[in-house]
Amino acid sequence: MSMKGQLTARKLVIKVTVGLAVLLAAMSVCSFIGSEKVSLQAVLDGFGRQAAVNPDYEIFVRVRLPRIFLAAIVGAALASSGVVCQALLRNPLADPYILGVSSGAGLGAVIAVISGLNWTFIGRSPISVFAFVGALGTVWLVWFLGRLTGKFHIIGLLLAGVVVNTFFSALIMFLTLVAKSQQVYATIFWLMGNMVEENFLVLWCGAGCVVGGILVLFYIAPQLNALSFGEEDARSMGVNIGRTQLIAFGVAAFITAIAVSLSGLVGFVGLVVPHGTRLVFGPDHRKLLPLSAIVGATFLVVADTFARIVVAPAQLPVGVVTAIIGGPIFLILLIKYSRKVSWLK
Amino acid sequence: MSWCLGGKNGDSKMSGIIEVEGLSFGYTPQSTVLKDVSFEVMPGTFLAIAGPNGAGKSTLLNLLCGMLSPRLGSIKIDGTAVESYRTEALAKKVAVVRQEFIPVFGFPVIDTVMMARTPYYSPLGFESRLDREIVAEALEATDTARFALRPLACLSAGERQRVFIARALAQNTPILLLDEPTNFLDLKHQVGIYDLLKTTQLKKGKTLVAVTHDINLAAQYCDAALLLGIDNGCQYGSAKDVFSIEQIEKVFGVKVFAGKIGQEKFFIPLGKFAKDGPQIAAKHYS
Repeated sequence: MSMKGQLTARKLVIKVTVGLAVLLAAMSVCSFIGSEKVSLQAVLDGFGRQAAVNPDYEIFVRVRLPRIFLAAIVGAALASSGVVCQALLRNPLADPYILGVSSGAGLGAVIAVISGLNWTFIGRSPISVFAFVGALGTVWLVWFLGRLTGKFHIIGLLLAGVVVNTFFSALIMFLTLVAKSQQVYATIFWLMGNMVEENFLVLWCGAGCVVGGILVLFYIAPQLNALSFGEEDARSMGVNIGRTQLIAFGVAAFITAIAVSLSGLVGFVGLVVPHGTRLVFGPDHRKLLPLSAIVGATFLVVADTFARIVVAPAQLPVGVVTAIIGGPIFLILLIKYSRKVSWLK
Repeated sequence: MSWCLGGKNGDSKMSGIIEVEGLSFGYTPQSTVLKDVSFEVMPGTFLAIAGPNGAGKSTLLNLLCGMLSPRLGSIKIDGTAVESYRTEALAKKVAVVRQEFIPVFGFPVIDTVMMARTPYYSPLGFESRLDREIVAEALEATDTARFALRPLACLSAGERQRVFIARALAQNTPILLLDEPTNFLDLKHQVGIYDLLKTTQLKKGKTLVAVTHDINLAAQYCDAALLLGIDNGCQYGSAKDVFSIEQIEKVFGVKVFAGKIGQEKFFIPLGKFAKDGPQIAAKHYS
């Protein structure tokens, strides 16, 4: 019989390679787009020279490249974490922030600002360190509360996430109003999602963690497929539910927390990129995970480039751009592919 | 109470592939759903589990596949206690067809059936040529190959049920558990499913355990029957013995008209408004 449409390792490698090529192309093109014109010749001249200040080289290497690299890391992390959250919660509305990452990170950041700490940790400000810890701590809290309602209880977990998110958002509001500090407003702006220039050490660490996380998630992709049919079915197909859920939620929360501590709460990517990728490539997590990561990275690189240039020299929060470009693209995909997608019926 | 079909009198003791001994279970410490249930299923048997709603049929099925743990007593699959199997090892012994669950994100038929091979995937998570052959065979056997690329949600209920049976077959287990396999199906598809199940029993020598409300089909197709009562009582034996008018009237608490055409027994429940009144039942029963 015909095995058309069946996924093989070879087909996946081809798809991923093409995807990575597109991502690299997008990154290269975007690094030459911006409010300042940069010439390739001038940039190449800058390499290996210390003395003379070469503005083209400085802008390209110290400003543009790190930022594009950062957008790619954050996009990949949010998109693959979104895939996992939608799979485990079996809910099309799930995104990486649903289990409390957003409010936890926000609360952490606000506390850091209010307590007036002033130090750095591997080049990170207290805001991003506290946001990271707050995000992971909150996910742990939600997981723990969800477990109290029953083992493998998805609705309990979702409700715990919603309640904790609401409670912490209220705390953020309260602290913001009580503190009356200008800095707190700056933090809230930071939490809306912004790409800022980072040093390369931070970027390499972040990229390593995110890529490692995605590889772990890819390793449990067959189990995620089986889990789409519910815990009972997955179990009778030989999937260790507890272990799979723990790894999947743990890794998804970890890479989301990294993304949030790097760039704040960039919205929309974690919800829409998994859906868009699923509409085009199908629901098999073995391809959905790597391809979503690539699509998410490409999408955020492009979106951030728009954020840089649309109102230049001012900059838009990238979250605004992801919603403005992402929304229409997603709707077009939705209408075009809805006939072959069953969960819309 | 305990029966064993075949090999009865202690001589040449063949052991059952499923052995349930003094099984009791309740969801809360105060309630008891199953009390002291014992039975033994020989390899290659088609067993029907019947009884009124709330008698614990699905609970028993979940106990058999290790989703629940017994409060008292033991369940052995192929000589080993269910709870001492690792999840992956149990999935190589027991496949389960549950009541319909359509995933939110629609997988096509072939991917759904392929998932049965998850415990056999290579470490990188891809199926082997053997996996593909087994899946192709399961699709052929269930007559689902012609819509192998369609998403699950675009199938009729009968087609979808056949896909889930195909998935259970592709798991290549000696035991198949089914929870109301003919629920929501019309007459033609009910018979189709039972024909398919009986064929796999006879051709592959699989042991089938089906929870069912359809006593007539169960009487026609099954070898053994377990009738669970609401008051924690249970009857186990050959389908011919267990499905009798006395048992059914007692366990379900309804008047029943029982008849026989050739070798096939059938039972029709008689309600308050039955045209000839419930008393006709006894008269016509041979």
